[in-house]
Parts: sequence; C-alpha cells; structure tokens
Amino acid sequence: MGSLYSDHPTWLHGLSAGLKLLVLALLGAGVFATQALTVLFASAGACVLTFASLGRATKPTQPLLIGLLITSVLIGLFHVYMQQPWLGVVSVLRLLCTTLMGLALTLTTRYTDLLAVLEWLLSPLRFFGMHPERLSLQVALMLRFTEHFFVVWRRLDEAHRLRTGKAGGFKILAPLTIHMLVAARRVADTLHVRFQR
Amino acid sequence: MNTSSLSIALVSLFAALIAVLGLIPKIDLPLGVPITMQTLGVMLAGCMLGPKRALQALALFLAAVAIGLPLLSGGRGGIGMFFAPTSGYLIGWPVGAFVVGWIMHTLPSATPRAAAISAFMASVIGGLLVVHVFGVIGLVNIANLPWEKAIVGTLVFVPGDLIKCALCATVVHTVARGLPDWRFGG
Amino acid sequence: MSSRRNDNLLFKHLHPLSVLTFEAQTQPTANIRLDDVTLRRGHTTVFQSLTLTLNAPRIGLIGDNGAGKSSLFRLICGLDQPQSGHVQLPSVETDHCAPIVGMMFQNPDEQIIFPTVEEELALSLRHLRLSRAEAQTQVRIWLAARGLADWAPRAIGSLSQGQRQHVCWLALLIGNHHTLLLDEPFSSLDLPGQALLRKEIEAAPQQIIVSTHVLDHVRHFERVIWLDKGHVRADGLGLDVCAQYETDVAARMG
Repeated sequence: MGSLYSDHPTWLHGLSAGLKLLVLALLGAGVFATQALTVLFASAGACVLTFASLGRATKPTQPLLIGLLITSVLIGLFHVYMQQPWLGVVSVLRLLCTTLMGLALTLTTRYTDLLAVLEWLLSPLRFFGMHPERLSLQVALMLRFTEHFFVVWRRLDEAHRLRTGKAGGFKILAPLTIHMLVAARRVADTLHVRFQR
Repeated sequence: MNTSSLSIALVSLFAALIAVLGLIPKIDLPLGVPITMQTLGVMLAGCMLGPKRALQALALFLAAVAIGLPLLSGGRGGIGMFFAPTSGYLIGWPVGAFVVGWIMHTLPSATPRAAAISAFMASVIGGLLVVHVFGVIGLVNIANLPWEKAIVGTLVFVPGDLIKCALCATVVHTVARGLPDWRFGG
Repeated sequence: MSSRRNDNLLFKHLHPLSVLTFEAQTQPTANIRLDDVTLRRGHTTVFQSLTLTLNAPRIGLIGDNGAGKSSLFRLICGLDQPQSGHVQLPSVETDHCAPIVGMMFQNPDEQIIFPTVEEELALSLRHLRLSRAEAQTQVRIWLAARGLADWAPRAIGSLSQGQRQHVCWLALLIGNHHTLLLDEPFSSLDLPGQALLRKEIEAAPQQIIVSTHVLDHVRHFERVIWLDKGHVRADGLGLDVCAQYETDVAARMG
C-alpha cells in the first residue's frame, strides 16, 4: 500500500512540510472568512495555476479531479435551482481552492514529514498525559496491520468458499475481529519487550 | 499484561480495521443507495474498545488520512478530504465512536444477547445519529446547503446505516461467544 | 543526547566486524537467575519455588506443551511477574543500552511492527536515540555487511513467511541484547530455513535460549533443560537430556 505522494519532483517538493501546511491552513481560514466574489475568484485562479504548475505529478489525481468537478457542478446546479446562484458560486470557489491545494500538499509532501509536523503540533498535549511521539509508531503499526488483516480477510474468505462454495462477505467480519483482538495481546507483548514499557 | 502497550496495540489495530473496511468496494443497494463500510468500523471500535480508546483509534485513522494515506473508501486521502462537503461526517466519526463506546460501557453486556442489543442501540445513537448530525452541519457550512435539504439528503443513507448497526450487533454477538471474557465498552 | 556523543558507541556498536565479534560496551555482571519463583495464573500454579541459573551460552528448553516453557520466557522478559520470588537479569552499566533480553515469538506476523524491513530493524536501535535518518543509514550499513542490502526498503507484506521470520531474527541480532529467547523458532520454517537459522544461532555472539519441539536443533547444546509441569525434570548435556525426554515420551505412548 502506498501513499498519494508523487515521485515526480516539482517546485513544491522542495518546500518544508510545515510551511505548506501553514499556507494551507491560512488559505482555508481565508476563503471561509470572506464571501467577496473577487477575492474568491482571485484565490481560485491562483490555486488552479499553482496546481497546474505541478505538471506530470498531478496525473494520478485525475479520478479525484473528476469527482471534484462533478461535485462542483451538482452544487452549482442545486443553488441555481434554489435561486441563489451566487451562493453556489461561493461554495464552488471555496471547494476548488481548498481541495486543489490540499491535493497539492498531499502530492508533494512525504507522509513521514507531515507526521513529524503533526507530532510537533500535538506536543502541548503532553501536559494532558498524552504521548504525541507515539503517533509515528501507531501510524506504522496501523499500516503494517492494514496489510496483514486484508491478507487474513482473504484467507478466511477462501476457507469459507472452500467449505460453502460462496463468498464470505460480512460473515467473515466477526472472525476477523476476533483474530484481531487476539493479535492485539501478542502485539502488546512485543511492544512491551521492545519498548520496555 | 501491560495496559499501556495493550492500548497502543488496540488503538492501532482498530484503526487498521477501519482502513481495511475502506478497501472493500462499495456495495450498491437497489435504488442506487451506496453503502460504504467504514462507519461500521466506527461502531465496532466503540463497542469493542470503549469510549477513550475508540476515540483514539478514530483520531489516529483521521490523522493518517490527513497526512496523505489513501485510507478512505475509494482510495481517497490527504488533507483535502477535510475540506470536502462530506467532511462533517469524517469529524463525526471520532465523536460517534466515543458515544458508541460510552453507551456500550453503560448498558449491560454480560450475555451475548445483551451485548448484541446494547451494541445495536449504541450504534444507532453514536454511529448513526451523532455522525449524521455532524455530517449535516458540515454540509450546511461547507456546501452552503439549507438545513432542510441537508437533512433530507442525509436521510437517504439511514437505511444503509441501520443495516450496519445490525451488522455491528451481529459481530458483537459472535465475539461475545468467541471471547467470553472480553469487556465490551472498555 | 547529541549524536556526537553517540559516535563512539555507534562505531563500536555497528562496525561491520561487530557482527562477528561481540563488542559489549561493558561486561554484564551476572547471569539470568530465577530465585524461588512461584507463578500462578488464575487457578493454575505454573511454577512452584523454581530456582534456576541460566549461565551457558546455548541452552535448549524442551518439554510437553503446557510444561511452562513459554511461561518461563515470559517471566524472563518481564511480561509476567511472579507472585513470589525474584527474576534476576544481568546488569549492564552503560546508559543508552538495549533491553537485556530480546525475544522472538512464534508467529512473525504478530510481532513485526513496522511496514518495511529497515524501519523494523531501526526500531531495535531505538536505545541509541538516533534520528530516523541516522538509524536507517545504520541499518542499511549493517544489512549490507551481511549481504542483504536489497532487503532494506522491502515491504514486509511482500516477504514470504520464512523471510519474515528472518526479519524478526535480524531485528534481534541488530539489537545488541545480552540474551535472546527464541520460542519455537523452527516450527514454521522449511528445511533450508531451519538449516539457515541453525547456522545463524551457532554464529551469534549473544547467549541464546531456544524452546523447541524439534530436538535435533538443541541436541548438540551443552545444556538442555527438560521442563515438566513447571518443574525441572532434567538439566544437563543436550545429548543426555534429549534422549531421556524421548524415552519418556515413547514410554507414555506405550
């Protein structure tokens, strides 16, 4: 399982994760703070240009862009039907800005870098007894076991097919859950031995 | 058994379960109403883990989505998901999981039958009601839909979600029989 | 905690030669010892006043299922606490040291934590407090010294069962523990895999305790312990103890 990060180098790849995240946060706050059409049109234009400047890196996002287009058209049509077209335009412009820039961030930033920023942002939570530095460990553990459980799901499905001739479907969910709860104890043991916690 | 390690393991593994449920393709009921399975993961997390760990599992899952991992059904991910009109539902997931867990903790679950009934009620309130409330708030604020239209829109998904609540209850029933010592609701 | 301070430790710790010769920062002062240990689980008494000193470089642990082999390992790692008595581990004087005891569980799928090989091995270096990049560089150097450079970026999901178990073994080796506990490590390996692990165990510098049902893998150890319902039934040369156990099983089968 990969991430949505693109290996094609672009100018955005060189910027730090924290900076990009900050710009996105400001942009997101900005477009929702205003309803001025000129401001929104200008922002949307800038966002489209920025996104387009990424060139080949955007290729895998085509299905997502099509989805975005369809959603925009639906929202627009809906507001026309409700006889408040300008509200529809505002919504669509906001959506365009934030979605395109969100995609640009995801395409050009390694998830491990974003994880590091996220951990740093969450560090004040230490005062509440939480452990933000565990976040990387938990994300890694989650990824590792997403793959593993998908394999277990397929194995249970095959066993079901062999015995009943039909696909397992939702009947497999319960055995999978039990398998996972049992695995949790063993994983906890491993964590204890390797982290001495 | 070290509870800190067990917490880390359970939270991460249930986040993984929610990701796995996203890998399963969408099912279309007659009339073209889609069922995606991930809200089932929200309900299961609440029922199995209890409020605190279920909240952590969903928070972990959403954090992973935010940093760009394609874990939402359809292989979607990235921070853009939180700006989409349906992002209200996403925010509703950790809250819903917490509510499911809290109700499950409060209601009886000593026998498999009791656990299943409690799971169904907890799923309806936390997994269905709470999530849809947040979803509607999101639709109103981001897509600028008026309240009535947003509510009608969200009601379309309620039948599918009720089925998921029943599924969650079934799974809880089976787990209660397979792991009789498991403390539902944490 | 700067990386500069770790440089000496790092060099001594991870110089490729250290793969072949054990470079401990200091010498540990004692062996693993159980003093009058009693362990109860629910209504069962697993061990009653067990006293044992584990001082040989290679120790085999054999016995029926339920005899207490896994429980003994869990006590040594600290996963379970005895109701009475004391489990003594060797003491090591440096800070920044790895856990004294490393353990390999039976199922590699339930103990590999990270999705790629280099991340999983880097976890074993956690006690050195390196940055993520530094740790991964060290892992790559270490793997290259063993001829496994191409393993570093591989996803665990793409490895076979035997390869995954080998990753668990590598993670133990790189961790610089004093003692390694291997719980039924041969059970899911094919013949070549078993032969490879046996060779690796012979070459490893740490103290290794192997719990197994395949007696041939521990028969040549200088010390094998036969556990029977929580008691030490025999303790001595591998050849002798294995033969005694085999005779006992044959007699029970009639």
